[in-house]
Amino acid sequence: MNNRIEEIRKEKSIRQEELAKALGVSRQTISSLETGRYNPSIQLAHKIARYFGLSIEDVFLFEE
Amino acid sequence: MKNRRWILSVVYMVLGIALFATAFFELLDSFWSGMGTALFVIGLLRLLQAIRYHSNAQYREDTDTAIGDERNKFLSMKAWSWAGYLFVMIAAVATIVFKLLDMESEMFLASGAVCLVIILYWVSYLIVRKKY
Repeated sequence: MNNRIEEIRKEKSIRQEELAKALGVSRQTISSLETGRYNPSIQLAHKIARYFGLSIEDVFLFEE
Repeated sequence: MKNRRWILSVVYMVLGIALFATAFFELLDSFWSGMGTALFVIGLLRLLQAIRYHSNAQYREDTDTAIGDERNKFLSMKAWSWAGYLFVMIAAVATIVFKLLDMESEMFLASGAVCLVIILYWVSYLIVRKKY
């Protein structure tokens, strides 16, 4: 599953540390999410989308 | 981290001292003094960690994040899964090697370990299947 976390985060000039703190996860988790090495739970995906003010589908790109 | 951590740390230290003392007065053998020392050190380290957790806000925040972090939990589960799988593989190979070397008791120990882990896996699987 691909995502646009890094792109959206940079657009909004948010640092990885800030995003991690807001979501209650480690900075390494944000880094792993951005590189696609780790797929988040539905709860974390929802929190990320809500933090950016977007829907899950806007942030995460599901592939068949 | 709650008060339980403080209590457990003190229990470890007291138990460690008690074991060390009984071995020191030759009521038990040196194995127990070694275990007592290890328990005391673990208790002391946990206590120092608990003190730091209560006195250092940044450390508290970092610790809480690390504990609650879902990727950390995932990594921990993955590491346990790999460790269990590797243990079974190594014990299975050891069983064959011990058999070839005609080391019967070691062979039974290694094969018993394989069986035990597999039984534990199936029991865990049945419990987890009901839970999720």
